[in-house]
Amino acid sequence: MSAVEPHVILRMGSHAEKDYFSKTIHLFDGIILGANLVEATPGASASLLVRFAGQKTKLPYYLDPMTYAFGSYVDGTNRHRSDLDWIKSEQTRKTKSGTKEKYRDFKRSYRGLADRIGEPLKSAIAKGRAIPPEAFNDAVLTESFCKAVVDYQLNRIQEILGEDTEFKEYAAEAPRPAVVFAPYFYIDPTNPVAWTTAVLNLASASTALSPERPVHAALCADMELLTNQSLIQRLVTELPKTQAKGVWLWFSGLLEEQADGPHLAALKSLVQRLSASMQVYNMHGGYLSLALSKYGMHGISHGVGYGEQKGVLPVIGQSTPTVRYYLPSVYKRFGVPQIARCFKELGIETPQDFHDKICDCVICKGIVTTSIDDFDAFGEMHKSTPSSRRFAQTPSAAKRCRFHFLLNRAKELKWMKTATVADVVGQLQEARGTWGPQPSMQSELGYLGVWESLLAS
Amino acid sequence: MASFERESLLYPLVADYKRQKSFQLQAPEMQFYEYRIDLFGFSPTLNLSVSVELKLNNWRRAVEQALLYQLCSDYSFIALPEPIVKRVNLDLLSSHGIGLIAVGAAGLCREVLGAAQSKVVRAFYRDAYIDLLQRRQ
Repeated sequence: MSAVEPHVILRMGSHAEKDYFSKTIHLFDGIILGANLVEATPGASASLLVRFAGQKTKLPYYLDPMTYAFGSYVDGTNRHRSDLDWIKSEQTRKTKSGTKEKYRDFKRSYRGLADRIGEPLKSAIAKGRAIPPEAFNDAVLTESFCKAVVDYQLNRIQEILGEDTEFKEYAAEAPRPAVVFAPYFYIDPTNPVAWTTAVLNLASASTALSPERPVHAALCADMELLTNQSLIQRLVTELPKTQAKGVWLWFSGLLEEQADGPHLAALKSLVQRLSASMQVYNMHGGYLSLALSKYGMHGISHGVGYGEQKGVLPVIGQSTPTVRYYLPSVYKRFGVPQIARCFKELGIETPQDFHDKICDCVICKGIVTTSIDDFDAFGEMHKSTPSSRRFAQTPSAAKRCRFHFLLNRAKELKWMKTATVADVVGQLQEARGTWGPQPSMQSELGYLGVWESLLAS
Repeated sequence: MASFERESLLYPLVADYKRQKSFQLQAPEMQFYEYRIDLFGFSPTLNLSVSVELKLNNWRRAVEQALLYQLCSDYSFIALPEPIVKRVNLDLLSSHGIGLIAVGAAGLCREVLGAAQSKVVRAFYRDAYIDLLQRRQ
């Protein structure tokens, strides 16, 4: 498949991100929400979608059914897990004596989702056991499950509005998603053949329902699947036969800036082959995936700050990561001192130099005004509570970094629509020439050369 | 041979050594954005500041951090146990103006490579850190 016009769909991780969407969503091609977010916050999610995707704006929206969360996975210690622990959390309840006790149970959002969709999710929750791939050898169960998942995506927002006294009158005009996803599961590396069969069956059964929206499949797997030639060949042959109009790739562990040439070449090849018969998206993609639009990648989705890659296994119990500054020239985030360390050598001495050589988005123009030392505002630190032992990035600094990133991503999207492969490669070469020799950056810029070779070949 | 089980065991030895070099005002673990400068010192006599990154093994990582500390200090060093020092690429350190301190078996420190005065130091950072250090004393 030759070049296609790229699309960027912003993924909302929580309603705390609403401000970013309100101010920038018009620059992008759609919004995607996880069904767990919808079930955790039904009213807020439905009203948000009416606002962004309603009659006035008609922004395409997508509901990720999150069915993979009810399957098995391999945890951080390489153990195969089928206890669904990844959708549980520590909760507190009052005992009869009035004391509080902690216990571990399913998150309310996933329990709610299982209640809405029904089998086999309900039984998985009741038994506390992941759904095995063999469950979808049963054609009757597979069909009813697909119908429930598709109907959920088509009707859930309307249902929520109908139950709300304030929004009831708008229920009939509730926006419908741009596409519906077939149920999907993580192609567990301990049983990849059976899971691939299940995912293909679920896609076929969903398209057979002929819903009122195009059906898209999702291919969620460990990045090592990319080098499993027999399975890739099977997917390339059989995914188009499911009649799905699109596929969303999610290769867990595949970080565009860290992946080696062979994995990225396998991704490019897969995109080229699949895009001959369907739209291909990267569910958690970054700039490289955007550039792969020159080879058929129809779109990418990602969050507002960090989320251009996402592991299947959720990250639990870590402190809030610093939102680093997205350096537009190299399409990667860096800490403030790493960038500031380059100023002298790159001849950046004034705010104007900064705007000419680093970034001239409205955020940067508003922050770096009197001196290049103003750049510090993107990394500003504080003690979040009086008892905090460590300093952490201030919420304002994180917000600046996120807005700056979103404005740059929108700029990249616009540019990519008309750029040629030679333009993209040329920019990468220029970035490597300018930033590559910088001592504080050079150990982290090896990907620029890898991307250049990948895109040029 | 003395072995250092923890990075923090290097601190008092290097701190003493730098104190002898007139960097009387010192503080451990000064936060610099996401990083912590293991030792930040200031010499009122020389009106110069110094930062030292301590590491037990990973000298490359120490260099990466020392490069950043050149933004806020006049001199930037890495300090390693003596047996690790022979692995270090001195040309690399020299090209970036980073100094190297070896912490020996008896707890004595030795300057293997002097640091060059930072060409990228920014008064914005340097003065703020010196001020912070002076207020702490």
